[in-house]
Amino acid sequence: MIGDFFYEAWYLSLRTLRRFFRVPANWIGIIFFPLIQLFVFSQLFKDIIQLPGFRSSGSGSYLAYLAPGQIAFTAFFAVAWSGSAILVEYRNGYMDKLRATPIFRVSILVGELAPLFIESAIMAGGILLLSVLLGATIKTGLIGAALILVLSGLFGMAWAGTSFVPALLTKSEQATGTLSLVFFPIAFMSTAFVPPALMPGWLQTVNSWNPITFLIEAIRPLMVSGYDWAAIGKALIAIAVLGLVLQSATLWAFRRLTA
Amino acid sequence: MISPIIEVENLVKVYPGGTRAVDGISFNVEPGELLGFLGPNGAGKTTTIRILATLLAATSGTARVAGFDVTTQAADVRRRLGLAMQTPTLDAFATGRENIELIGRMHRVGRAELKRRTDELLELMGLTDVARKLAGTYSGGMRRRLDLACALVHRPRVLILDEPTEGLDPQSRIALWEELERISRDGTTMLLTTHYMEEADRLCNRVAIIDNGRIVVDGTPANLKAGIGADSVTLQLEASGSEDMARLHEEVRGLLAGFESLESVTPEPFGVRLAIRDAGRAIPELMRRLDRNGHDVHVIGLAVGRPSLDDVFVKYTGRRIRTEAADQPLILGW
Repeated sequence: MIGDFFYEAWYLSLRTLRRFFRVPANWIGIIFFPLIQLFVFSQLFKDIIQLPGFRSSGSGSYLAYLAPGQIAFTAFFAVAWSGSAILVEYRNGYMDKLRATPIFRVSILVGELAPLFIESAIMAGGILLLSVLLGATIKTGLIGAALILVLSGLFGMAWAGTSFVPALLTKSEQATGTLSLVFFPIAFMSTAFVPPALMPGWLQTVNSWNPITFLIEAIRPLMVSGYDWAAIGKALIAIAVLGLVLQSATLWAFRRLTA
Repeated sequence: MISPIIEVENLVKVYPGGTRAVDGISFNVEPGELLGFLGPNGAGKTTTIRILATLLAATSGTARVAGFDVTTQAADVRRRLGLAMQTPTLDAFATGRENIELIGRMHRVGRAELKRRTDELLELMGLTDVARKLAGTYSGGMRRRLDLACALVHRPRVLILDEPTEGLDPQSRIALWEELERISRDGTTMLLTTHYMEEADRLCNRVAIIDNGRIVVDGTPANLKAGIGADSVTLQLEASGSEDMARLHEEVRGLLAGFESLESVTPEPFGVRLAIRDAGRAIPELMRRLDRNGHDVHVIGLAVGRPSLDDVFVKYTGRRIRTEAADQPLILGW
């Protein structure tokens, strides 16, 4: 029974990954924005690093400060529109084709969600690699890099709910695209660009709850100083809570749609 | 006695909003039969099929496929069912082979068998050469055939096809008909919907005419056509004008008075249309009567039409099927 579920989810996930990687527009679109920010902002705001608030982050250059944020942004962008694909297949009847086979209905949803771990991790890995090429460092080496990818992948999988829930509830790609914009400020208010010490009080408060900030602050020490298990633990808890809430809602919306 | 492979009893589907898409349909399909649902768009064909394919819950009534109830034993039904919907539903970013293999895996076709079966189906559908190309690059006809291959990968006992040749060019349509005939000969039971008369006529052992959510009549195409009775004989007459033609209409009526095979005479601008039983045998006598001395009825053209399923459809629904063009509602979401 559980074996059946894993069998189905495995092959449906492979299909989803194939669909993602065979269309370069998918991954170029995800990587483009973080890449530009990394390139341009690291030059544009080069001297901002001399502000006192940056010192405690341990980053030696603004590029080094910026990189963890852009890795997190990539995981964010990797799933910002992820609900559209399932919607397209709901609309064109492919989901019915799968539903008419003797599989668990939830395998279809898991086959869409699970691959987002891989997609987010690989996309984030691309930006990690580029930032290293540009001069950023990873103090914790390959193991740290692997940890960064795992954190990014987990975050992507959890955050995907922000796209799946509107997609499954509105059944509209346009609405899904537009609603994804609502979540962009959350990414921009994070500590991706400046440390909390330089932020106004209300933004500091926002960031003590911002899941993207938890992700960034777990990645940053792995790149600039060393293992900060407290930060990693906090990020994992934030991702787990986020994932539990968002994916329960996704499951509910999916059942409602396919009832 | 062999029990029917599809048993449908008093099926009703009322959509939220009150539309009675299916309004008390009952029918059986015997193993090996090829039953066609003939009807205009919106008649309830697709709704019935979706219920049988376990994709939609009926409001009331029961449906069993291969002995299993579509509501309470959906998984058992799905294992024995192949389905191809109105528009081919394929993974555009997967190759032809990958499309077939995924559906096969979902049906738990074993590894070795899956390889063999996929090769066989690709060959059968003439897709071997493009098996490694993405399905998104396929033409309409290729997409249909690939969709059909997906539906057949697990050797289903029952194949359900919704408008299998919709949107195909005539050549691809005929090729697909030949394919379906072959599958039917192999013993697969088939239920298909169509709004093409020729398709129902050529393919189906039995046709059910469905209109407004009900089956209005069902039988073999031959029996249904025989129920119409007379053939139609169209005579083109030579006349010098419309008044002359009106005079000829009366003349023909007079000449044919007492002709026992004749059922009716309908005046037409170009001549007359006659309903005549067993026209093949009656035509010599018809011509003899029209050729009587002292009359100037000159027949310059003659055409004999056998009753078509089109006529059957008109008889039972009062409309022609083709005029009921697809006017499906636009889907507007926000």
